[in-house]
Amino acid sequence: MIYKTTLTLLLASSLSLNYLIGQVVKSESASVNFLSKTPLEDIDATSKEVVSVINTEKNQIAFSIPNKSFKFDNSLMEEHFNEKYMESEKFPNSTFSGTINDEIDYKQDTDKKITVTGKLKIHGVEKVVTLPGFIRIANGKLNVQTQFMVKTADYKIDIPTLVFEKIAQEIKVTVSGIYPLK
Amino acid sequence: MQKNNIALIIGFCLSTLQVTAQDDLLESLNNEQSKKKSLTIASFKGTRLINSPTLEVVGRRALDFRIAHRFGPFNSGYQNFWGIDGPATIKLSFEYSFDGRFMFGIGRSSAQKLYDGFLKYRLLRQTTKNEMPISVTLYASANINGQKQESLPYYHNFTGRMSYAYQIIIGRKFNEHLTLQVSPTIIHYNLVEKSTDKNTTMAVIGAGRLKFTRSMALTFEYGMRLKGMTNDFSSYFNTASLGIDIETGGHIFQMFVTNSTGMNEVQYIPYTNTSWKDGGIRLGFNVSRVFAIGNRKK
Repeated sequence: MIYKTTLTLLLASSLSLNYLIGQVVKSESASVNFLSKTPLEDIDATSKEVVSVINTEKNQIAFSIPNKSFKFDNSLMEEHFNEKYMESEKFPNSTFSGTINDEIDYKQDTDKKITVTGKLKIHGVEKVVTLPGFIRIANGKLNVQTQFMVKTADYKIDIPTLVFEKIAQEIKVTVSGIYPLK
Repeated sequence: MQKNNIALIIGFCLSTLQVTAQDDLLESLNNEQSKKKSLTIASFKGTRLINSPTLEVVGRRALDFRIAHRFGPFNSGYQNFWGIDGPATIKLSFEYSFDGRFMFGIGRSSAQKLYDGFLKYRLLRQTTKNEMPISVTLYASANINGQKQESLPYYHNFTGRMSYAYQIIIGRKFNEHLTLQVSPTIIHYNLVEKSTDKNTTMAVIGAGRLKFTRSMALTFEYGMRLKGMTNDFSSYFNTASLGIDIETGGHIFQMFVTNSTGMNEVQYIPYTNTSWKDGGIRLGFNVSRVFAIGNRKK
């Protein structure tokens, strides 16, 4: 009896989930890149293990990036990024979830500048931010791009004085995602 | 039947809740991410702790240049500035890895003019969610005694100069602070001094670190000999060292006291001839500098 009930419960939840997922589109590919630019050294890293979803009905968007998926050219920098600065074993993911402030007709091909307001969470610190972005709908695909600056101090990422000149206080972040609309 | 209907309704409500709010949109993403396996990183700062190899391998396309130095013994007294005046031993080594998993290296130590080449392979890697609770690294080194023939009257041919060390390094990073490892070890000398000496011996090395800031850690290692190389077990001592690790970006400074003079497994494990008890310990340091080599911009 309990088994049957559980089964029904599971079936019901999966059915209704499927029903609702119709409004949620998941990225088929998404990436995040960041750049720290100083006179001494440019450090950049890219993650392609980004997952993102857009709820087209509610105009909501969310990203999640495992910090360890950022690939650096220099493997020692990658280790220090995770061990010392992002503390990736304590805070495994960097995330964003927010609402697109502009009206978008997802059925129409468009190019549009947008802003997104929501919570950016890095290194366990959450901040409400408004980010500029660009959206393109063409060939049944939705393309989202944004570029913004992140202050390391805002997210309690402590840069020791010894390497202070090599790591920028403001990091340029570039995000892009492609979502199939059909 | 009625129960089933209730379950159906509850299930529907639950799942609706799951995807309505935007935070739950994120929740589902984080759940998806957390299903992925994530390898434990930075179990130790360097590829060697004090004398012993750690479970770590240098990163992909990274070259680690190490300088190791051991001063004279404390019990040599004030006249010898408690060992700072020497005699000192020094070892230089290079370690490189293409993929961050398989590493090879070469080294040269002033103790017995010893040349060595070694291989290291990360067989198993611990994961953060304990799908794999331990890391296992294999280590093998071959050493060549480079002293002049005159000082080695019992060496007849080249192979007599060779000795080998094999280790299985089993370790676990318990948390951000504590990492421990244990390494069953086999040491083999092709040629030993006396006919009563053994060619092969076994030992177990225990080592660990206690990281107390993000750049500093206390380190310790102890080598327990299971058999001696010579008939008289007590003519040599177990290696024991206590130190501190300081990491500063590209450099790691390791400072410690140890009762061993040699810096290769074939030396400090079976042939440590001074003891902590009578002050036969010495100051030592290792400096490690990592260079990124062979990187290509995509």
